[in-house]
Amino acid sequence: MEFTTQLLYPVDQVLLAVMIFSIMFGMGASLTIDDFKTVIRYPRGILIGFLSQFGLMPFFAYGLAIYFDLPPAYAIALILIGCLPGGTTSNMFAYFARGSVALSIAMTTASTVVALLMMPLLLEFYTVDFTSAVSEEMKAAGEGAEFVIPTANIIGSLVLVLVPVVMGMILRAKSRVWAKTAEDTAGFMGIIVIIYLIGTAFARHSGLMLQTPSEIYISAISVGLLGFLFGYWMSRLFKLSPIFQRAISLETGIQNGPIAFAIILLSFAEPVQSQMLWLAILYSTFIVISSSFITLYYRRVGKFDFEVYKNTSIHNRLFGDEYVSDYPDGFLPKRIENDPSQGLIPAQKRD
Amino acid sequence: MNNRITAKNMADLYREAASRYKSLPAFATRKKELEWNPVSFEELYEQGLNLATGLIEMGVDAREHVGLFGDNRFEWILADYGVQLCGAVDVPRGRDITDNELIYIINHARIKVAFVETKALLDKFIELRHDLPGLKEIILLDPKASAPDLVHKLDNVIQLGAALRKHGDTRAEERIAGIQPDDLFTLIYTSGTTGKPKGVMLTHANMMSQVKVIPIDLNCTDRVLSILPIWHIFERVFEVFSIACGVCTYYSNVRHLADDLKNVEPTFMGSAPRLWESLYQKILKKVDKSHWMRQFLFHTAYFLSRQYMNSIYFLTGKELKQEPASKLKRIVLSPFHAVRWLLVLPVYGFFNVAVLEPVRLSAGGSLKATISGGGALPEEIDRFFNYIGIPVLEGYGMTETSPVIAVRLHENIVIGTVGPPMENTEVRIVDLETREVIYPNSDKPHEGRGLRGEICVKGPQVMKGYYREPDQTRKTIEDGWLRTGDLGMITFNDCLKILGRSKATIVLSSGENLEPEPIEMKLNQSPYIEHCMIVGQDRKYICALVVPNLEGFRDNGISANNLEELAKKSEAKRIIQQEIKQVISVSDGFKRFEMIQDVRLIPENFTVGEELTSLFKMKRHVIQDKYGDLIDEMYNGKPVGVA
Repeated sequence: MEFTTQLLYPVDQVLLAVMIFSIMFGMGASLTIDDFKTVIRYPRGILIGFLSQFGLMPFFAYGLAIYFDLPPAYAIALILIGCLPGGTTSNMFAYFARGSVALSIAMTTASTVVALLMMPLLLEFYTVDFTSAVSEEMKAAGEGAEFVIPTANIIGSLVLVLVPVVMGMILRAKSRVWAKTAEDTAGFMGIIVIIYLIGTAFARHSGLMLQTPSEIYISAISVGLLGFLFGYWMSRLFKLSPIFQRAISLETGIQNGPIAFAIILLSFAEPVQSQMLWLAILYSTFIVISSSFITLYYRRVGKFDFEVYKNTSIHNRLFGDEYVSDYPDGFLPKRIENDPSQGLIPAQKRD
Repeated sequence: MNNRITAKNMADLYREAASRYKSLPAFATRKKELEWNPVSFEELYEQGLNLATGLIEMGVDAREHVGLFGDNRFEWILADYGVQLCGAVDVPRGRDITDNELIYIINHARIKVAFVETKALLDKFIELRHDLPGLKEIILLDPKASAPDLVHKLDNVIQLGAALRKHGDTRAEERIAGIQPDDLFTLIYTSGTTGKPKGVMLTHANMMSQVKVIPIDLNCTDRVLSILPIWHIFERVFEVFSIACGVCTYYSNVRHLADDLKNVEPTFMGSAPRLWESLYQKILKKVDKSHWMRQFLFHTAYFLSRQYMNSIYFLTGKELKQEPASKLKRIVLSPFHAVRWLLVLPVYGFFNVAVLEPVRLSAGGSLKATISGGGALPEEIDRFFNYIGIPVLEGYGMTETSPVIAVRLHENIVIGTVGPPMENTEVRIVDLETREVIYPNSDKPHEGRGLRGEICVKGPQVMKGYYREPDQTRKTIEDGWLRTGDLGMITFNDCLKILGRSKATIVLSSGENLEPEPIEMKLNQSPYIEHCMIVGQDRKYICALVVPNLEGFRDNGISANNLEELAKKSEAKRIIQQEIKQVISVSDGFKRFEMIQDVRLIPENFTVGEELTSLFKMKRHVIQDKYGDLIDEMYNGKPVGVA
């Protein structure tokens, strides 16, 4: 599939830039210095989250690209998405999925910082085959230039998108109320701009959605789903408690879409840019839908263990740290039988 | 997972709860904001048995009436355990009891032994002792207060019992075995909005039937916040229900409610309309004070959820159906609602999580349900909370039905109704004049749905009768059917809608009948109005007595130090008149004779125990007597014509 015209007109690009800025600003507005400290409190969770985020996700993206034999530009975009750090959206989903919000925020924070180093490395590593394919295509088209992953540019764009994050954090330190508003407004804008982009893409490039081969849809959807699935099982394998499993699962599958847009806009040029953007738009759209369903599912399966956790931790909040909640025999589900606080209150651990 | 305990009687329930829930907390008392004292099911039962034995030693017989005067605190429930476990009956009443009520109740119920909560209340007892010839023993509940001679301390009675039990005393266990389902467990004197108090006799079977059929599932992971007066059956049924489900009840109070909602994060509570009215106003005030962007976000969120929820209500047939539904209309409208639902869904989804969730946190954020009872919840407020996702459900009942008759559930949410009658409960609508049963009646169209009349109830929760009032009992219960004295109808989706208290009906001299409550409810939502009462029985037109809201006036630039000062200001009266004119108008669906012609501001607030019952219902006859001259004044002059 070829883009005969640019996917985004300059006005859309401006809109997108404004959206990226406000979303990253909103992200910063939701963070505090304490969130960085939280990272230290959950070393195990963070480490496993780190493994699934930077270990599993890029690998799945690469695997999907190979398996479906995606056109190189799409493959690169998919891998780029696989290498992204987590976004603040995942914190909201973790909250409603009855997962550990603290871990989710800590993971987002940690992965955003680590991404500065990991993203360029992982991109280089996984995209070698595809960049040479692009170069050959360009040569065949007579453009002559060699296509390489613009590593320096990517780091530059990453740093650039972190500027509004820091600005948001400063706002948060100054006024909580305004910070909360910035956060909500950003989320609202995000939805509107995504709906607008899809709408205009649909209107201008009539048939674009129909022309897009099904493999591309499947890959854009599956990369997130695989992340949810394996994030969940990996943390289960490492015997993390249910609330952490749900948080890691969502954190793994939900990537920071706006960073992908920023990198694509700032570091890539045509002919690959439009195709990459289209994939990023598809991912961003479907991830919201699939995480909504996953969240509803987690909310249901996690209802009981979360209520036990909540009640137990409220006992300790009100009756003191030493209080032990002794539920009737057979009342607790097996997985949290030995610790109804799910690892958060030492006094609740039984042998 | 329905694992509540079903038992034969209260004592049996308490024993079973102790053996099943053991060391889990049963009740918790607040010491500081984040410091609470838990008492386990086992410990409570053990202490209860000790107390029961102590009471038996003091001479309390089986089925004897034991006074229990005090408000929500752990010692209250302990005293109740003691009374139930020795097969006796408690006669509960709050601290706000008036001297006359106190004398009447103790003598009428023939109370020999009474628990008294505080030193202040004890002083009242001592002062009135000559009027209480039958009262022999007093036990003081407050462990911190010092008891004068001849007054027992609760702890001493418990220790007395404990010592006896150590030596093999099993009299309490024998008493428990002797309790019959038809025996009373409590005798509650209704604070009544009219006349002298009446003793409502409730049996163990009454309460056990409620525990069995309350259509809410709670388990050991739930938390109940207790805020309403425990001696009222509406709160008490939930505490007994909590014990049956292994739920811990946390004792809060009005002053600390906001904090406790956040710290305890209750999953369930019984509540009164007043609580939701004030939370509603607090939320709106907070929104109004926030900056324009936040206001915009909130209003958008509220707008969206209204669209979304209304479509859901329509599609699932949960809208209020006071008239027979037209099938054609349904078929035509359904696709529109489906489309609206689908369009709104994604944006609503976002606003629901980002904007409405923080609002929900003001009620703790974990509420699975709260049942509002003891008065009608204004529909606007009802809708507000259900739109924003705080599941405020409305229940309907009375002390005489121990108390729940109907409750509106989350799964069957028809706003504006109190839901379908409970399991095992039959409801009839009876014509006020002819006493003909108009629902269910196969001769009427739609079996009588949509017709208004008096609500009558039959079921296992109906009281045994009024104590020593056979005439009153006969008047109230006819062939097993209890006359509630409330006006209602059955909607076309089989829910009960309450239309007002039939006794509150005002009949104007022109013969027009009107219900003051809907008008008052509407007026009470004004920020300027704290309370108001409509008067006009046998007069040409209606007028209103208004307690103005100091804060509301202050927020709008009219400050006064107290109500007395405010009531004197002609400006205040003018504002209230304008407010009334705006709210009660023909275009809002009020009839011409429902227009308020004059108004008087009352210079002091209504107080619980005086003008208000403990559930904030107005005692109309008290207010009428107290402000008779103000009322006369309104009818002596010419109508000013507010509206």
